[in-house]
Amino acid sequence: MTIRRILRDTCILAALMILVVFSCSIIWSGVTAEISLVLSLFGLALMITLVNYLFDEFLSLSIMLSYIVKYFVFSGIVMLFGFIAGWFFPSNFWMAFIYVGVVLVLAYVIDAFKMRRDIDYINEHIKKKSVA
Amino acid sequence: MEIITRQVPDKPLTVTIEYPEYTESVKGLIKRIETLDVSFSVTSEDRQMRIAQSDVYYLEIVDRKVFLYTEKDVFRLNAPMQEIQSIAEDSDLVRISRTCIMNTLHLTGIRQLKNSHLEAELDNGEKLIVSRKYLRDIKRRF
Repeated sequence: MTIRRILRDTCILAALMILVVFSCSIIWSGVTAEISLVLSLFGLALMITLVNYLFDEFLSLSIMLSYIVKYFVFSGIVMLFGFIAGWFFPSNFWMAFIYVGVVLVLAYVIDAFKMRRDIDYINEHIKKKSVA
Repeated sequence: MEIITRQVPDKPLTVTIEYPEYTESVKGLIKRIETLDVSFSVTSEDRQMRIAQSDVYYLEIVDRKVFLYTEKDVFRLNAPMQEIQSIAEDSDLVRISRTCIMNTLHLTGIRQLKNSHLEAELDNGEKLIVSRKYLRDIKRRF
């Protein structure tokens, strides 16, 4: 729990540091290629987080099906965003499927593990309560 | 913590809490006891009645109407879901999907189905579909 919190706080702090440093850089040297890339990544992350939230809020699919649907939707978003931002060329756009796939496989494994653990925790407490 | 109970005839149920210091756990205990006294105003065959929170199994929205389910009966509730959601905080009631609030007091178990959906079983044998998103909220109630 502590490790998770430290990792989460580290990511938030790193994101804040990047935003602050790059915001200052914009004032001094304008929007450079690196700044533009980082801002695009933040924009993409925001879009994916928003779509993910809407998915979880309005669709009630099984864990596997939900990840399969998300895989294609997120790959589409990354590809579209990548083309607009100039990250992909027509020859390497398929790489979006690999990037998204790796992230989602990791997320699925963590999610499935956490869900199993939460179910066991709840059932354990119900059992204790009924024995008491 | 010491628990003292005594029968006092002709008086309503009274809970007295004595504490050396007013801490967060005392505050939480008072809140939990207060929620036991919560009841819902429902309509049944054009007459109004009140159902204690402990008798509620789950609440569900169907066509923008809120229905309250007890062990055997169903009632139409005279309050919007948002109001119930605010009452549900710090109580045994917890949202389990976009349209359903369950009373964890009557929960006998949660299991993952073959299609990896989640199902909650209540002590009257009723089964409810749980959205994965709300699993953590259920966990927090225990």
